[in-house]
Formats: sequence, structure tokens, C-alpha cells
Amino acid sequence: MTVNRRKKPASVNPIKIGQSLGAVLALQGCYRAMPLIHGSQGCSAFPKALLTRHFREPIAVQTSALQEMDVIFDANRNLEEALNLVLSKHRPDIIGIVGTELTDVAGVDYQSLLKTYKRERNMRGGLAFSVVLPDFRGSLESGFSTTVEAMIDEMIQQVGHRGSRNVNTRQITLLPGSFLTPADVMELKEMISSFGFDVIAVPDISTSLSGHLLTGFSPLTRGGVPLDSMLQSLQSGLTIAVGASMERPARRLHNALGTPYKVFNGAMGLKATDDLLHFLHQISGEPVPLRYCWQRENLLDSMLDAHFQFAGMSVVAALEPDHLYSVSSWLEELGMEQKALIASYETPIVAGMEREVWVGDLDDAEVLGKDADLWISNSHGIAGAERIEAAFLAAGFPVWSELGAYMSVSVGYRGAMEWSNKAGDLLMRREAERREGSVRHR
Amino acid sequence: MDPVRKDEFDSEACGSLSPKSKPCPRPKPGEAAGGCSFDGAQITLLPIMDAAHLVHGPIACAGNSWESRGALSSGPSLSQYGFATDLNDSDIIFGGEKKLKESIDYIAGRFAPPAIFVYSTCVTALIGEDMDAVCKEAGERLHIPVIPVNSPGFVGSKNLGNRLAGDALLQYVIGTGEPEPGTPLGVNLIGEYNIAGEMWDIEKLMNSAGIAVTSRITGDARYKEITWAHRAKVNMVVCSRALLGLAKEMESRYGIPYFEGSFYGAKETTYSLRQMAYLMNDREMERRVDRLTEREESRLAMDLRPYRKLLKGKKAVLYTGGVKSWSVISALKELGVQVVGVGTNKSTEDDVRRIADRVGDDTEYIPEGGASRILKTVRERKADIMIAGGRNMYVAMKEQIPFIDINQERHKAYAGYEGLLRLAKELTYSLANPIWKLASSPAPWDKEAPPYDR
Ligand code: SF4
Repeated sequence: MTVNRRKKPASVNPIKIGQSLGAVLALQGCYRAMPLIHGSQGCSAFPKALLTRHFREPIAVQTSALQEMDVIFDANRNLEEALNLVLSKHRPDIIGIVGTELTDVAGVDYQSLLKTYKRERNMRGGLAFSVVLPDFRGSLESGFSTTVEAMIDEMIQQVGHRGSRNVNTRQITLLPGSFLTPADVMELKEMISSFGFDVIAVPDISTSLSGHLLTGFSPLTRGGVPLDSMLQSLQSGLTIAVGASMERPARRLHNALGTPYKVFNGAMGLKATDDLLHFLHQISGEPVPLRYCWQRENLLDSMLDAHFQFAGMSVVAALEPDHLYSVSSWLEELGMEQKALIASYETPIVAGMEREVWVGDLDDAEVLGKDADLWISNSHGIAGAERIEAAFLAAGFPVWSELGAYMSVSVGYRGAMEWSNKAGDLLMRREAERREGSVRHR
Repeated sequence: MDPVRKDEFDSEACGSLSPKSKPCPRPKPGEAAGGCSFDGAQITLLPIMDAAHLVHGPIACAGNSWESRGALSSGPSLSQYGFATDLNDSDIIFGGEKKLKESIDYIAGRFAPPAIFVYSTCVTALIGEDMDAVCKEAGERLHIPVIPVNSPGFVGSKNLGNRLAGDALLQYVIGTGEPEPGTPLGVNLIGEYNIAGEMWDIEKLMNSAGIAVTSRITGDARYKEITWAHRAKVNMVVCSRALLGLAKEMESRYGIPYFEGSFYGAKETTYSLRQMAYLMNDREMERRVDRLTEREESRLAMDLRPYRKLLKGKKAVLYTGGVKSWSVISALKELGVQVVGVGTNKSTEDDVRRIADRVGDDTEYIPEGGASRILKTVRERKADIMIAGGRNMYVAMKEQIPFIDINQERHKAYAGYEGLLRLAKELTYSLANPIWKLASSPAPWDKEAPPYDR
């Protein structure tokens, strides 16, 4: 089907998020990392505040703090200063330089600066890479996957010098998409390892943004996948990517090292989980663990219990592209009418969906989703959902209206069950409120 | 306390109006913290609740920042809409002015706001968009004020952005309207952003003393009331040094006296109310204020008694921006909490002087250095609690330090007498919470002696 756009000049209540935030998120999943945003202060302060608000965790990020004159004369002086300071003060294992729209428009060449810098300082042992992520393209999702790709590139280049590859067929590299919560990543790791595989998630926010009191405060990331495991992942026998946006980094591994890969576009709902488990069963030769057989039954039973709730109900969802795809396939299984699906920007996966998809904002959700019963979006959507009197289900990024949202599971049978119950509860409550309301009016 | 006209503030430091002021220190690459000027401009103007606020630039500036503050509205909510021109590649190459013009038309047509504020951002400033001209043309054509706010992020700090927003108000808004007949004229509250509804507590107090608020600049404001701000009798600059320039300019243009005050703590609140009445030159009002403040203070003293007992001698590290650093110290002192460390990174020399007036000699000043530096002070000074902005909240949580959020994202109102009581309660709840004990004691199996020799 085609992707539509409503004609309007301004974005009203955007769901799109600057790409650089995606980069900062990706780097949070690596141990002792520091994302360094090459731009003005605000470009790092806003993402930091927003990520902090969503994950309720301190977020590691720094800035080259460009000011007007630096942009015009010598933006690289700032970058060099920032690198010097971050390296000498914090000694990060991984440093990711994130170019912004500002450096892009000003035509600043920081990639070659980084190369010279690395050569001159004889930098070895850590990863330092740069990505160009102007905000007038893509969104959080593309920023995240592009960063993972750049990270993998850098790893390949480093290890490339060391030659031989020792493929470990019992080891799988998991490339989790940006829409997955820390709990989702954890669930996926568990599912894969339950078939006897060692899993290395790149990046791994399940051990960094999931909330733990391990190491106290550090200006660098705490938790996440350590650098040696990341390098170790190059020996994996297989890559599993979750989310279509993660296909490119998976392909990169394939092209450079010959690692075969499998992409799962969606991760939500019965069928998506069936596919994943079936695949794992086939490649491992191991039986599907009993607990998943049970969970499958549990899910089916709860869907039966809840289907009365969803019958005749309609839903509007506004999310990042991969997430939208995933959520839409789950909604399909619930039998809800999908009144409007809105993506933050266009990608092949949403363009190829069987349903009509719109590229737009939360205002479009309000207009196209008029009379919908359920509204699924980030917390920015609360007001819009109220205006069209739909029940509000928080999903995506940022979610600040709920405690522990970052720990909610959406993947696997367990995730589908949790979400089905949550959505059903919301609709039930809404129904009850309406009943009360009509009684009072008489 | 004698009410005095405070006019000793020379515009020496960053954030005030004088052009010859020494520049704000350059933020240190790799160690910089805090928002950009665009952020600062938004903080000041977004609380004009019925206006539309359009961000001209690529998506990140608007997309990452909307709905991030705790400024509440008692009515209209258009300012909570996120409007952005959302420029893409080709807009950047061919210029975004056309899109800007269309966006303004669209917003005016669909939402009919009383005014539209248009914010420039780094990219639109860099490529030299003539925003002023587009706004002027659109305003004349649409017959509503369309106000350019030239405060792109890369010109400097948040503080500078506050000031530039103030300049925009002076240039385009204040003095363009007249109050409806019968509007009681009194005080403009400048730099009170109604965080967590603090403005409402303040207004209630002022009203019970018979002091009218003429314009809110800008917490919970309506566009129109700011247009007639020049008719007020007194300006009070509430906790925002960056807008001092606005007050000064209004004094020279319209002859409105101003003073700088705060509502954090009973003493400061009483002082501010008295100052208003004094500057209004109204004997009767002064007497009313005296009666009110006496009554409120003695009631507060009663209410505070149980909390004071618990808070006495507790040590706090306070890390917040500019003016709040000294005004909150007063509030804490009244509760018996000792401030053992205080952040001065965004404070001007005046602020630092005022901090010095309020704390003892052994209080540590934390000039910069971010989270690690604050934590060091907390540890070294054996502080019981950390009071800072939301950005540092989870830093404290990781270190299991009780924490109170004092900045603009918070949900609790601490202004006025009621606010002080609320602060006392929050401090007590936070310090007494069972979580601190639970989090610091190990799991039972970690407490056991090892079953075998290792
Ligand atoms: S620094 Fe510039 S580009 Fe970055 S958020 Fe602020 S205004 Fe936008």
C-alpha cells in the first residue's frame, strides 16, 4: 500500500525525534561509553533531559558546545578540546561522535579530524567513531540503527588487522531495534539463550537502562555490553536483527565477515513469537522450552478471554516505523479495527505494509483517528487522546506518564499477553466511566 | 526589615541588559551542561498559554523540547501544542522562508491564536533566514501579532535566551495594548513561570492583601495582559535575573519602579509583599500586608513545628541555577536545614554575594563540574540530602542520596508560606523514607558467612 501524507505546512505535535537522540540511546547500551554530540549545547541537553525522563536513569552524553563564532570559524577546535577532556578525564572505552544538523549545514569535516586525531595520539584499544546524523532526515529509529552500523564498522576495521576469524556457531549476535525496551531486550536474550546459544546484544540496553544500583554514579554509561564482548561478537555464527531498521548493520556484518543473518521485522504477538521460536528451534535442533509452550497457551487463553473487549473497537497508533509495524501485526491478531496508523517518517517496511499508513504527527492521529476507542503513542499523545476521548496506551518514546514503562515487555508471548491485558483493561475502564457519566447526566 | 528600593544591581554580569557587560563564559567543550539560548527563550515565553509557539528549524529543537516543563495553565493550552516548521534537506538548500510563511498562515487559520511567537534555531540562523521580515509581513496580512524571537541555541546559554525573550516582549508586545476599563492595576510579576502552580499560591496571597496582579510575565499568562503591562504600578522581578533588563527598561520607558524579590521562604515572601505595598505608595495596603504576613507567619510557625524538629541540623547540598541558589537558601535556613554546599555555576557576582550573606563561612561553593563534583561535596560534607534539578535526580538515586527536585520540571510548588510548609514536608518524607535502609542492606544470602573457606 502507499504511504500518505496530510497536506499541511507545519508539523503539529510531532512524533518525530531528532536522529542524534537515537545515537545517544544506542551508545547507552555499551559499557563505559560516551556519546559526544558535535553541535551547540542544546542539542545534547535536550536529548539528555528527555532520555532521563523516559528511562529515569542518568544518561551519559557530552557536547562540543559550539557557539556562533565557532561554527563560522573553527568548529573542530571545540571537538578536539572536547575529545581531549573526555579522554583524559573519563577514559571511556567507546566514544561516538555524533554530527548534528548544525555541523552538517556548516559543512564541518570532523571525520577526517577524528582520523588524524586517532593517528596522532596513537589511539588503540578503544572504539572511536563518528556518524553524521542531521535532524532534517529520519528520526530516532534511523539515528539508532545508523549508529549501530557505524559502531560495527569500526569494530570490523579494528579487528580486521588482527586477521583470522574463529567462528563460534553456538554464539549469536542480537541486534535489537530502537523500539525495544530494556525488558524486551532481556526477554529476547533469554529466549535465544534458552536454546543453548550464547547471546551478545549490540547494543545492550537491558543491562544499562533497566535500573540497577551496581556501580554508583559515573559520567560514562554504566552497564551495557562491554567492549571485549562486542569484539567477541564478530565471531558469532549468526546475526539476529529485530526490527527492519536493523537489517543494514546485520548486512554489514554479513558483507565484511560472511556472518549469515536473519531479520525479524516484528516481535509482537502470537505469530511473530511463533516465527522466532520456530526459527530458533530449527537452527538449534533443540525443543522449544516448556515455559514457552505454556506461555503460548496462556496467551491464547487470555486473548480468548479478552476478545469480547476488542470486538468492534477501533484504534489509532502513532509510532516510529518499525514499532508501528510490530504493533500493527499484534493489533491484527486482536481483531481491532485499525483506524489510522501514523509513522514518524517513511521507511520501506511501512511503505510495504498491507494497510494504509500515514507519515505525520500526533495532530494527524487526532484528525484521522477521530472516534477511535484506543490511542497508542508516546506520552505526548495524552492530550490528543483526551480530546478525541480515546483510551490512552503509552508506547514508544518518550513515555513519562507511567512508572516503569521502560521495563514493560512487549515481545514474546509474555509481552503480547501483557499488552493485550493492558489494552483490554483500558477499554474496560473507559466503558465503565462512560456508563457512569451517562447515569449522572440523567 | 526596612523596605528599600533595591537598585544596586549593576548590569555587570551575563543575563542583564547592558551591552557592555562581560560576556558569559564560554561553555567548556566536553564538560558543558545545560540548555541553549533557544531553550531559555522558550522557558520565558511558553507560559503565555493562549499563544501559538512555532519553532522554525529541523525537528530536533522542537521535537526534543516540547512538553518538558512543569509550567501549568489555568485555562487555554495552545502553548502546549508543539508547532514546528520541521525543515528537511531541500528546505535547507532552497530556504525555509516559504514554509515558515505557510506555517504561520496555517496556524493562524486553524487555531486563531491571539499571537504567534516564532523561534529561530541554529540552522535557520546559520543559513540567514529573514525571519523578522516574514513575521512582519504575515502579521500585517493576518492582523495578529507575529513575533520573531531571535535566540538561536548557539548564541549562548539559557540565561541569554531568557533575556532575548524579554527583549522580544519589550520590542513587540509590552505597550501595544490597553487594559479593559475596570482592570485593577497593580504589580507585574516578571520571571515567575508557574512551575507546579506556584503562581497560584502567590496570587492568592497577593489578593488577600488586596494587591492586584496586572500582568504575569509570563507564568500562566494570556497574551493580551502582557500588552498592557506598561500600565502596572510596580514590577517585581521574581527569581529571574535575566529579566532584570526588562524591568529596568520598563522603568526608564514607563517610569514603573521595580524590585527584585523571591517567594521562597517566609521571610522573603513577607519582604516581597511589603515591598510591593511600599512601592505602590499605599499606606492602607501596607497595613493590610502587615496584618496578613503576621497572621500567615504565625500560622506557618505552628504548622512547621513538627517538621522543624526533624529537620533541625540536617545538611543539604543545593545545586540550582542563578537566583534560586540564594533564595532557596533562605527557605532552607528557616527550616533549620544547613546548606553545606551550593552551586554557583550559573550565578552572577551579585548572586554569589547574596549567597555569602546567607550561609556560613564553611559552606562550599561548587562553581562547575557537573554531577561528579556535586557528589564529591555531598560525600565530603556528609550531607543528608541533595536539592537540585531533575537532571541530577537519578544521579542522586544511583548513590542512594535523598533528593528534592527544585527546577522547572518538578511537580511541587514551594513558593509562599504554603510552599515552605510543603517543602518542609517533602524534605521530611524524603529523608524518612524506608527505601534508604532497604537499599543499603544486602540480600540475606549476602549477609551469611561463606559456607566454605574461599
Ligand atoms: S542548540 Fe540550536 S540546534 Fe540545538 S537544540 Fe538548541 S536551537 Fe536547536
